[in-house]
Amino acid sequence: MPLKYAYHPGNVAHSGSPEVADTMNAVARNLGLELTILDGATSCGAGIIRQANERLQLALNARTFAMAESHGLSILTPCAATAGNLKQDLEKLRSNPILMKEINDVLAKTCGLVFSGETEVHHLLHVLVDEIGLDKIEKLAVNKFDFRVAGYYSPYFQMEGACGGDSVHDPDYFEQLIDALGGSPVDWEGRVLSVGAPGILSEESTALRQSAAVISEAKDEGAEIIVSACNLSHSVLDIYQGKASRVTGITTNIPVIHLTELLSFVFGNHNTRFAQLRTRIAVIGD
Amino acid sequence: MSDETASMGEGLQDFLGLGDRSLEVLFGSQSGNAEALASKIVKTAKSYGLDGNVHDMDGFDFNSLSSKKRVIIVCSTWGEGEQPDNAEELWKFANSSAASKLEGVHFAVCALGDTSYELFCESGKEWDGLFEKLGATRVVERIDCDVDYDAPSSEWTLKALPALAAVDSTGNFIEEMVDEIAQFASGSSVGASGDDGFSVPSIEAEAIQVEISVFRFDPSTNSTGRDSWACAIPGHLSVMEALRAIKEGHDGSLSFRDGTNDDPSTAISVNGKLVLPGRIRVDSIASSREGSLRLRVDPIPGSDVIRDLIVDHWALERKRESSKPWMVAATREGIQTPQGVIGEMNQFTALRVHSLADYDSAPLLHSSSDAVPYANGFLGPAVLASSWARRSDPRTAPERVIEIDSILGSSNGIRAETDLAPIFRRDGYSKSVSEGLLEARTKTIENDSFNGKLGKHVWWYCWTVKSSGKVNDTVLYRQVLGPIGLLGNLFSGVTARMVLGFTRTGGNVLNSLLGMVAPPAGIGKMPRQFNSTVADHHQVVAIYNELDGRF
Repeated sequence: MPLKYAYHPGNVAHSGSPEVADTMNAVARNLGLELTILDGATSCGAGIIRQANERLQLALNARTFAMAESHGLSILTPCAATAGNLKQDLEKLRSNPILMKEINDVLAKTCGLVFSGETEVHHLLHVLVDEIGLDKIEKLAVNKFDFRVAGYYSPYFQMEGACGGDSVHDPDYFEQLIDALGGSPVDWEGRVLSVGAPGILSEESTALRQSAAVISEAKDEGAEIIVSACNLSHSVLDIYQGKASRVTGITTNIPVIHLTELLSFVFGNHNTRFAQLRTRIAVIGD
Repeated sequence: MSDETASMGEGLQDFLGLGDRSLEVLFGSQSGNAEALASKIVKTAKSYGLDGNVHDMDGFDFNSLSSKKRVIIVCSTWGEGEQPDNAEELWKFANSSAASKLEGVHFAVCALGDTSYELFCESGKEWDGLFEKLGATRVVERIDCDVDYDAPSSEWTLKALPALAAVDSTGNFIEEMVDEIAQFASGSSVGASGDDGFSVPSIEAEAIQVEISVFRFDPSTNSTGRDSWACAIPGHLSVMEALRAIKEGHDGSLSFRDGTNDDPSTAISVNGKLVLPGRIRVDSIASSREGSLRLRVDPIPGSDVIRDLIVDHWALERKRESSKPWMVAATREGIQTPQGVIGEMNQFTALRVHSLADYDSAPLLHSSSDAVPYANGFLGPAVLASSWARRSDPRTAPERVIEIDSILGSSNGIRAETDLAPIFRRDGYSKSVSEGLLEARTKTIENDSFNGKLGKHVWWYCWTVKSSGKVNDTVLYRQVLGPIGLLGNLFSGVTARMVLGFTRTGGNVLNSLLGMVAPPAGIGKMPRQFNSTVADHHQVVAIYNELDGRF
């Protein structure tokens, strides 16, 4: 029986990080995941829309939930920020029947949709460990990822009820996964700390110091590469890496890839890219 | 009860059963809290061999105290540091020349109050000082309780009663018996079946093997590191008790802030969770790795470490001071009551104002922000939550509201927080605190009419999602950073990394280079200039139009 989910790619997969979309397709095929694309799903709001109007973000995400429910499916996303924002809004609506009715009234009036609260939100990492099982994933690993790997969770899905069976404050699903894929997981505290991604445009210097500290710790612990479960944070960890180094004076050179890329490479897809990555790991760094 | 406790109890029972064992508990109460607490104390006093009597201060003969040996005062504070109504007359008399000396009296004071008021627990402080002035002997330090007085007052009672019970029938305080009495009473505690409201059932757990790794910092050599101890300890021990055991049995140089279970200054990080160590059991927080349990203990982030787990709270206090946290009240119309004219507030408003700053430790809340260690001058969530609570308090004067808005909207205010998610995800305080911070941020953005980088970021994010259902990074970069910011990114390598995907492994480099033809128009790795719209996009527009016409 294939696992079926409604798929939400997150905010950046359609924009600055097309590699997420590329690799997710291959990974879903390898894992036997049956994904229903939610063509109408909007941005999760990334916690930004709620700063202007919380009910607006709730209504937009309730519309996404209603679409998933219409397929009888739970939502799967490879982005921790999207998983966290959707889960936070889902719980807020579930826990407040009056608010839920008000938002449902808006949905009924504007979209003709009804949201019952039955859907669930899952991040890919938790589906891999809780639903698919690491033993199956280990069997699919044809290219061992034999590096020292720092798995970056981000803070977004590290909330009660949002991280599957993993610990909220001291998680280890990512480390278990890296181990199953043939890598050596790095033990580091920065794995759940924010790199200030939502504030990179408005409070750049602080966000750069945050990301430099996180990268620096990964390097100090011997990581050769960071793999991010958060597509939003990836943009700061990767694109702003050089700038973070210049602002802080901390050496930050390290390859940073998405979780979906790691899986795709290990499962035997995109071999040319994996070869490029191996070369980059050998070249980049101290 | 253990054999040891039983044999110890036999000797004590004589002491506790002989002669005058009376305890007078006087309450000064406005709302009934102090009265209820006095009654609870008297019920508990039986376990300590004391015959407690509760007295309303109203009509009480103050001079009768001079012949008593043990007295507890439980007194609330009313308004701006005033005695409650039922205590006023007694207070006046006690301060008059007709009041007797209290030289043979042993006493303890439990003060109730509200930190929202400038003169916190003032009445209790006054009674404490007066008893001392009249020659009475204080057996335990006074406790000043905030509105959530249950836990601290219970804990204080468990110290005050054995101390007063150690006053013998002749009026001598036998200090060395205090611990013995406390242990005896604890052993004979009625536990879960008790109806005294104080006794908490003792749930004991099996000993567990745990590795405790503690951060160490020696300021004399400026060196850091970690020490680890592998030990078998009962799982029900609190983390604080485990640290005490290490200090007493293994390493006397281990430094941490010791205190009561609710002491906010004791905050530490255990396995990444920010906690008050007296409140959390070892077996509830230890994480299991490779078959063994581990505790990784660190100082809370965001403050300078003085030694080992002790951090300097002074910087936070200075930030709190700079925010002028005290109440500046508006002159308001009151309502006539039998006690005179008093201000009123409906219960929903009162609950909301209280919940906005309902956190158990300012240092804990402060360190829950991941931005605090890196944003110089940032006031942090604890100071800002308190400021927002003041701002939301209808009693606050309008000119003070303007001042608070200015603090919240300053460069060190709520806009300096890069990410609210870490604050939301950490518990130890109610979600209403983090939701209050979100409200403060919304208010600040609106006060700025969506100007400034934060305002523009939020505005254009909302705008692009309305336009297509998806966020358009190109528009955000262009509108928030402006031409100078874009140039800065070009020269700092940010744009180059977007185009080349320097460390990334996806996409066609040629397509990305094409994106450079019309910067910042993006193709490939560059953010897209134009987004396709989501299916049924008209629904998105309709939701916006229904809920927020500004975008």
